[in-house]
Amino acid sequence: MSKKFDSKEIILNVENLNTTFVSDQKKIRIVKNVSFQLKRGTALAVVGESGCGKSVTMNSIMRFLGRNAIIEADSIQYNALHDGEVKEYHIEKIDKPHGPEMRSLRGPEMSMVFQDPMSSLNPVYRVGDQVAEGLLQHNKGMTKAEAKERVLDMFRKLGIPDPEQRINNFPHEFSGGMKQRVVIAIAMICNPELIICDEPTTALDVTIQAQIMELLKDMQVKEGKSIVLITHNMGLVAEMADEVCVMYMGRVVEFGSLEDVFDRTSHPYTQALLRSVPVLGLADGQKLETIPGATPNPADLKGGCEFADRCPYATDKCREKDIPMYELSPGHRVRCIRYSEYPLAEDGQKDAEVK
Amino acid sequence: MSNTNTMSIKEQNKSAASSLMKKNIRKFLRNKLAVFGLVVIVAITIACVAAAIMGIDYSTPNMTMMKKPPSSEFLFGTDTIGRDLLARVLFGGCYSIFIGVFCAVMSSVVGAVLGAIAGYFGGKVDMLLIRLSEIFQAFPQLVLVMMLVAILGERSMGNMLFVFIVTGWMTTFRMVRNEFMSLKGETYVKVCEAFGMSKINIMFKQILPNVLTPIIVSTTTNVAYFILQEASLSFIGLGVADSTPTWGNILNAAKSLQVVQNQWWIWVFPGAAISLFVLAINFLGDGLRDVLDAKQQ
Amino acid sequence: MLKFILKKLAMMIPMLLVISLLVFLGLRSTGIDPITFMVPPEVQSQSPEIVEQLREELGLNDPLIVQYVRWVGNICKGDLGLTNSGEKISGIIADRLPYTLELSAYAMLFSAVIGISIGIISAIRQNGIVDYIGRVLAVFGQAVPQFLVGILMIWIFAIKLGIFPAANRVSPDATNAFLDAFMHLFLPVTTLTIGMVAVLMRYARNTMLDVLNSDYIKTARSKGIPEWKVYMKHGFRNAMKPVLVILMFRIPALIAGSVVIESVFSYPGIGTTMTNAITNMDYNLVLVITLIIAAVMLVASFMVDVLNAVLDPRVRLGDE
Repeated sequence: MSKKFDSKEIILNVENLNTTFVSDQKKIRIVKNVSFQLKRGTALAVVGESGCGKSVTMNSIMRFLGRNAIIEADSIQYNALHDGEVKEYHIEKIDKPHGPEMRSLRGPEMSMVFQDPMSSLNPVYRVGDQVAEGLLQHNKGMTKAEAKERVLDMFRKLGIPDPEQRINNFPHEFSGGMKQRVVIAIAMICNPELIICDEPTTALDVTIQAQIMELLKDMQVKEGKSIVLITHNMGLVAEMADEVCVMYMGRVVEFGSLEDVFDRTSHPYTQALLRSVPVLGLADGQKLETIPGATPNPADLKGGCEFADRCPYATDKCREKDIPMYELSPGHRVRCIRYSEYPLAEDGQKDAEVK
Repeated sequence: MSNTNTMSIKEQNKSAASSLMKKNIRKFLRNKLAVFGLVVIVAITIACVAAAIMGIDYSTPNMTMMKKPPSSEFLFGTDTIGRDLLARVLFGGCYSIFIGVFCAVMSSVVGAVLGAIAGYFGGKVDMLLIRLSEIFQAFPQLVLVMMLVAILGERSMGNMLFVFIVTGWMTTFRMVRNEFMSLKGETYVKVCEAFGMSKINIMFKQILPNVLTPIIVSTTTNVAYFILQEASLSFIGLGVADSTPTWGNILNAAKSLQVVQNQWWIWVFPGAAISLFVLAINFLGDGLRDVLDAKQQ
Repeated sequence: MLKFILKKLAMMIPMLLVISLLVFLGLRSTGIDPITFMVPPEVQSQSPEIVEQLREELGLNDPLIVQYVRWVGNICKGDLGLTNSGEKISGIIADRLPYTLELSAYAMLFSAVIGISIGIISAIRQNGIVDYIGRVLAVFGQAVPQFLVGILMIWIFAIKLGIFPAANRVSPDATNAFLDAFMHLFLPVTTLTIGMVAVLMRYARNTMLDVLNSDYIKTARSKGIPEWKVYMKHGFRNAMKPVLVILMFRIPALIAGSVVIESVFSYPGIGTTMTNAITNMDYNLVLVITLIIAAVMLVASFMVDVLNAVLDPRVRLGDE
């Protein structure tokens, strides 16, 4: 499985990541054998329903999970590129999740934009100080005045009006969209290469969503940032992503370029997702849930394909054992034993089976 | 809707309820501390009631047997005027447990009724009741109890129960009132109103059951609270009249340094009885909260 | 901000008046005649005209409301009235109140420091050793009556070990005032602190856990700042407000506790004075003490409002 890669081209390489949560002495594996690569300067969209493990995957990489999470991986390699030199970091080998090694990465190398700007800012500090905090942490000897200049520059770049005034405001004096800009400013202030955005627009108004996404796209295109976008909105994926990673119940079920995944869809789950645009699975979700025993609880999953119980094309073979990843074409992988029969059925037949 | 249909829905509800009940009982039994609490409470209560029924002598002073340490004759020893301490602790248990349970239940009832009224009707009634509860809550409960003891004068059992209930209804009141405030906007309440159901019916049959769980839990923990309250009050000498052997009154003897120094059994046994019983109730209350609190499931 | 404080302070006065009126009417309606305690029984039976004259002098024949207004007026002039035995109440209060304030202030301080630290350490090291010990202590601290803890303290430290005195506040032969105070305060303060810590600790732990689970803690970590900064600057600062508010809300419990504890340690404070006044039906004294306690309670609730405003930028701006 382990392939050699060009560490100048690949910024993040994840191999066989497994994340297990322990609660009441029971172990529940939330992320299972997840592998993917992120190319430098591109955007990768990780899509899937709520609870499919996409956030947990990214939080595992950032090592943000609590004590009750066990993270195991063959490799979580981050390749920093400074002045043509590549420096490799092996995150899976770092012991302490909040120790000095991990902390030196957070901010200057990789950072994260969170889902809900309302709660991701500390209510008791001025926003300017919150943005400057990371900057002062990673640049020893920088004066407060210099930091303030940098914060002002960042606010201007992110289109926050009247920055001289605004840096002295408290979070509650900002609108949702402006708060999310502040959160992005916190993520961007140390000029990291990799930005992980965890559903950055889910909590915002639709009109604001577009502005924020444009901001992020600009970062990627103009400044060559690498972006991981966690979302369940297939519309956003189509606009933003270069590559798409579809997850279901903790596994990557399909991975490929935007064209591969959207035009040559090879997994029934991806198909279901795409048919539910613009909003994920209202009709489908409700109907599928009514299939007996289908509400997947990660605690009592049996072997075989996790999607089998909800899949219109499932056969007995699907439930026998874990499904391996098949490579359809270079870079396009799918976890489905019936991939060779694709495209499986016409819409008419599908609907008949489904209803 | 046909009759058979409604019947079957009722049956379904019944079987669903009984399976939920079974699940809850299983969940409760898995909580070892809660089961321990229940066992201790039941054991102490049975022992106390049995002693009362058997009519063991707890009150006749015996000058020849004063201040005897625990022995095979007097398991807990005797007190300063020669009364059997075991008999007194068991009898005292009856009084203390009765005070705790009665006051907890009654103050919950008062709190729930007032809370239902304030929450459902809102407006001026609500304002008035809230202010009243604020004044009551502004005072340390013990001081309030002392005030009422002063006003009522006589320290009879009835007065004590009254005082505890009057000073103990506020937390339940607040809780029920807030729940009612949010529940009265629900559609099902509007539907009941549209059907012309009586206000009393809506308040107590339709809305109140939704709040029953937290009331049960808080009533349980209040039993412990009132037992402690009674003990403190009796200890400082303002509780139920001295002739009644509540746990607090028995402990009142330990106000004398001589007793603390020389007759450890006089305060260790009743003290242990109170502590054990209160501990057991707290465990039970926590267990009930875990089982019944839907939010945690 | 100043306006806000003044407004809150001004609102306390009518509250105090209402409470004192209720207590005044309540106590006067008991039908207990203070005269019976002032005049020897022989005089009462032999010369009722003296009693009647005294009654007139003291204003006991006026309507209750007139008596109340006069009582309030006297208090405003600094005259707190007399006890049944003719002592000046102001003198008793001046003697006893400092002792009680001393006792509760130390208990408050220590329980805040100990309770909050243990609570926060338990939250940071959840399921660690401190958390475990703290939980066991909290369970027992809430089950054992406070006066029993006091008795145990006396038994262990005063009787068996003989380190500390079991009662009183001042030794007649004391040479070092500070040492004397320390020796006498140690046991009651410890007892009172134990009772307060159990609740505070639990509350501080839960609040801190809530805060540590919030998103901005993750944001703080994403900046790569050290963990102690995450806990102290971002965690503690936010947990502070609810914890301080609950500390203020514990003041009634503290007062109730000190009434009982003073009785255990025969400590000459307001609590024992109140207990004795009730036993002796000395209702002028009860009235004044109740008024003092009510004032303390109102100040505590005023402190809650001020703390809220000082610690939370959202409240501060909402009021201006």
